[in-house]
Amino acid sequence: VPRVEREASVVWEGSSAKGRGAITAGSSGAFTGLPYTEPTRVGAPEGHTSPEELLAAAHGACFAMSLAAELSRARTRPERLDVRANVVLDEVEGRGHLIVASELTVRGRVPEADADGFAAAVAAAHAGCTFSALIEASAEVTIDATLEG
Amino acid sequence: MSMAERTAQVTWTGDLASGNGTIERVGSGAIGALAVSWAARTEDESGGKTSPEELIAAAHASCFSMALSAALAKAGHAPDQLSSSATVTFIPGEGITKSVLAVEGRVPGMDEGAFREAAEGAKDNCPVSQALKGNVELEVRARLSA
Repeated sequence: VPRVEREASVVWEGSSAKGRGAITAGSSGAFTGLPYTEPTRVGAPEGHTSPEELLAAAHGACFAMSLAAELSRARTRPERLDVRANVVLDEVEGRGHLIVASELTVRGRVPEADADGFAAAVAAAHAGCTFSALIEASAEVTIDATLEG
Repeated sequence: MSMAERTAQVTWTGDLASGNGTIERVGSGAIGALAVSWAARTEDESGGKTSPEELIAAAHASCFSMALSAALAKAGHAPDQLSSSATVTFIPGEGITKSVLAVEGRVPGMDEGAFREAAEGAKDNCPVSQALKGNVELEVRARLSA
């Protein structure tokens, strides 16, 4: 079985409240030295990414691939899929900050699919997307999907 | 009570094997557009493209580092520097199985045992770990630099 490893690295300096970190995509080099801080993680981002934003990007990309696979399997090749992922970090009584939700909004342009076929592919993609299952320990994943045209 | 929402927008064209995706933008504007593809995700060489696994690694390493700095500061030993990484393993057809954290810390006045203990705590308790817990094997290797 092929096994794939991907690595990212972080350098952090100082305490959490006043310190800052820098995030680098170690395997691909697709991004380097992205700054992040605690105030911009929980408050206004001010141009800084955060762990939750990176998870949103991971979830959106993972779900898009799963849905493309399911639609193709049903012989309804997608022309274009738009996936928006919104990851929510919240303070939970007695448990501190938790990632409580990832909300997906999906729009598909799939010429050969009807509404039922699209809905079935979305359900299968939800079950099959490795990321959706991954974050279930604390987060609820919801999907709002629309077939265009 | 503080709540934070963070958003990313992805587009995909075509089927899985030959199609292409783009992480068009994120709410902060810090990254994008970034290309993704199934081939780049599953082959040994990423070809310069990021992937869900690399983004999870970035989320996990950044979340862990912040939680560890908080725990160290609380114990009276705010770190000069933490150098961390996360390596995420993906087995196509099975899923994401593992995230291994590694951290080297420059922490004045702290001994190795207490540092390792704090790193274990951050590995168990940072929000990304809490979301992944039970579904993914989590591990941390921690040491102090001279």
